[in-house]
Amino acid sequence: MSGPNEDNNTQLSSHIFGDLLDSIIVDVASECHRIAKLGLDRNLEEEEEEMRLSAQARARVADPSNSSETNTKYVVDIFGQTHPSVATEIFECMNCGRSIAAGRFAPHLEKCMGKGRKARLKVTRSSTAAQNRYSRGSPVSTYSPYSNSTSTNRLSNGTPSVAGEEYSNGTYEEPWNKT
Amino acid sequence: MSHSHKLVIKRSSMSRPPPPPPTTNKDQQHQNPSLQEINIKLIQSGEKERLKELLRERLLECGWIDEMKTLCRAFTRKKGRNNVTVDDLVHVISPKGRASVPNSVKAELLQRIRAFLASTAD
Repeated sequence: MSGPNEDNNTQLSSHIFGDLLDSIIVDVASECHRIAKLGLDRNLEEEEEEMRLSAQARARVADPSNSSETNTKYVVDIFGQTHPSVATEIFECMNCGRSIAAGRFAPHLEKCMGKGRKARLKVTRSSTAAQNRYSRGSPVSTYSPYSNSTSTNRLSNGTPSVAGEEYSNGTYEEPWNKT
Repeated sequence: MSHSHKLVIKRSSMSRPPPPPPTTNKDQQHQNPSLQEINIKLIQSGEKERLKELLRERLLECGWIDEMKTLCRAFTRKKGRNNVTVDDLVHVISPKGRASVPNSVKAELLQRIRAFLASTAD
């Protein structure tokens, strides 16, 4: 067996590790406390819900029982191709950086960019300034496929009705990307 | 070991032991002196900060931190947002947290700590 010095070292190391761990535990507790007091976990729950729906949508598409013969929802285009009802490509949201399924992208953006009531509460003065900047210039339109005017209106005044009409079916298509 | 500050005036003595560094942490009164010294070396060399960041990164990667946050959220939901204190949350997380650190993470940190101790061995 190693000498007493080695045992002492091991004990010391464990003690130091315990110290570090406790310190991190306090940090995490403090952060959760802050989130709880500021009510930020309300938004968190919505995001968790979104991620779940996103995963669900992807799973439904990947499910082999949803074959084109049995599922009447699948339409066939002139080339004989079927398209899944929920677009499955994964994109990265440019606002929050999360990976979102294309079919869930529009509802996610609504919440993320400020159409929804909760998301608008999140928005601080500085980020509304940024959004107004985008709405005035020509949008680098990865997320406004339709007429620019309606989407800029949506960003600047956030009225729910405009956004609702555009994305009522929950799918997001980029017309110029269709092959 | 209590810190009694005795004012002993020795004229020509160079062998007076240095006074213990001031401590605010009451735990350090019960530590043996070498732990205190090690702690000081850890902090002054910046290694303590590096070790803490390494531990935090590993715990993040393996989802430990997310688990702890979930526990906190569940507790907050039950107890009510305005009744929760940091102390509550610490007590909620601590037992489960200390027990659920993955062995690989613990081993890596312990190895780094032992290496540090070896490098500063007098």
